[in-house]
Amino acid sequence: MKNIIEIKNMSYRYPVSDDFCLKNITFSIQKGAFTAIVGNNGAGKTTLCNAIRGFVPHFYKGELAGEVIVDGKQIVDYQLGQLGEKIGYVFQNPFSQISGVKDSVFNEVAYGLENLGVPVDEIIQKVEDVLKLVNIEHLRGKNPFELSGGQRQRVALAAIIVMDPDILVIDEPTSQLDPIGTEDIFDVIRLMKERGKTVLLVEHKMDLIAEYADNILVLHEGALVMQGPVREVFSDPKYATFNIQYPHVTEVALNLIDIGVPLKFIPIRNEELPKALKMEWEENND
Amino acid sequence: MKLNPILNLHPLTKLYFSLFVTISVIIIPSYIFAFTWFPILLVIAIIAGVGKQYLDIVVKALVLLLGIVFIMQLFFYPGDQVIGEWWIFEATKEGLQYGLVLTSRVLAMGSAFILFFRITEIRDFVKALEDLGMPPMGAYIVLSTLQIIPEMRRQAHTIMEAQKTRGVETEGSLLIRAKAFIPILTPLILSSIASTEERAITLESRAFSAPTKKTSLHKLKRSNSDRTIPIVLLILMISLIIWRFFL
Repeated sequence: MKNIIEIKNMSYRYPVSDDFCLKNITFSIQKGAFTAIVGNNGAGKTTLCNAIRGFVPHFYKGELAGEVIVDGKQIVDYQLGQLGEKIGYVFQNPFSQISGVKDSVFNEVAYGLENLGVPVDEIIQKVEDVLKLVNIEHLRGKNPFELSGGQRQRVALAAIIVMDPDILVIDEPTSQLDPIGTEDIFDVIRLMKERGKTVLLVEHKMDLIAEYADNILVLHEGALVMQGPVREVFSDPKYATFNIQYPHVTEVALNLIDIGVPLKFIPIRNEELPKALKMEWEENND
Repeated sequence: MKLNPILNLHPLTKLYFSLFVTISVIIIPSYIFAFTWFPILLVIAIIAGVGKQYLDIVVKALVLLLGIVFIMQLFFYPGDQVIGEWWIFEATKEGLQYGLVLTSRVLAMGSAFILFFRITEIRDFVKALEDLGMPPMGAYIVLSTLQIIPEMRRQAHTIMEAQKTRGVETEGSLLIRAKAFIPILTPLILSSIASTEERAITLESRAFSAPTKKTSLHKLKRSNSDRTIPIVLLILMISLIIWRFFL
């Protein structure tokens, strides 16, 4: 498979800061993969997203070392405007993620397509589809400024996926959502993956990462400390040293192992714990 | 949807009409002519269904101003034919004449443009300007200002509540309220500046600077009257000029 994103020895420092916020980061992401970025607050997750989207260094100046290559081309060689079509970026704060010139959710979602010069008939069709997909059809006539945080988050996601970018960079899309709303968003993200999009997701809800993501990048104080398939990372003892949350079931399983209950493998999804226990039990009773 | 024949006109047609009114009162010096515009504009406003608000705004915005202008001209415009006296001031016939001309013109121009903004959605007007070639950046600035002002008001309210919970007194005498202004204004301005950055990123994420020609869901229709009215106005304008200067 082809690597759509490649980052080599990247370091970055914000303009007025003394310390490097990202330190010597190297990784690559295959086309169509779903990668989760985890880490504690201040670990550099959002800055990394900005670097992939090209806001570092095109928008935030500062000092960038190393290489960021998106789709075979250096990020510094892109113009910011060209990247809009290629990389969709949903960022954290849903309250400022509104264009501010549209008076209804429908027009708000259509805004990106208008900017891309898509013909009107096509825009209407696409927006209809996306509103249905993200489950916000009932909001279509509302003023975006009058929505709640969770509703705005969905509108923000809809406004990006309607543009149909190849790569989606999504920074904590569910911080304002209830559990059901969160599941809905993850369903949408999974659907995007099924459609062949490359997804990068920053998220603190490890249960959902364990369920949906393929790979995981662990950031700690600006350095990329672990990377690999989700299962490998969560079952590596090194992960515990960074004080980042585990999926709940993994936490339980590790406690079980601590008190001497043997497990065949370390489960990362809810349904795997009984399976691991059963396998161990069957082996002992044979 | 809007079925009103006046509201449905193209914004530029409405603008041309307002400009026509403005220029016509400059060409024709008669104050009777200029004063007759106001009832005509009022009738248009009533047909458009905004008569009451229109009258309200005109009265609030213009009557006091016109009153002052008229009195100033009446007493202070240089002239010899005294028609009345009050205390040390003398009202002259020339002053009366000039006062009427000036107020009638201001009334016609002012009420024409108030009518324009009453019957035109800013969104439509900006779209019309964009169609004429205004850069999208300019259109964005005008439209976002319209939406961001109520948003900032909401934000100010939130900040005020937050400061209240921290013990800042926001109610009471004028002095107390004036003092409360600083702890509200500072965070409001700072947060607005901070959110500008995020808004720029939002716009960029929505491909605002994409190097293509934009399309728009918002389309302005041009009806037959939008084609004929500007021509009629132009012909009228030319005839007025010919009548005034050449006959």
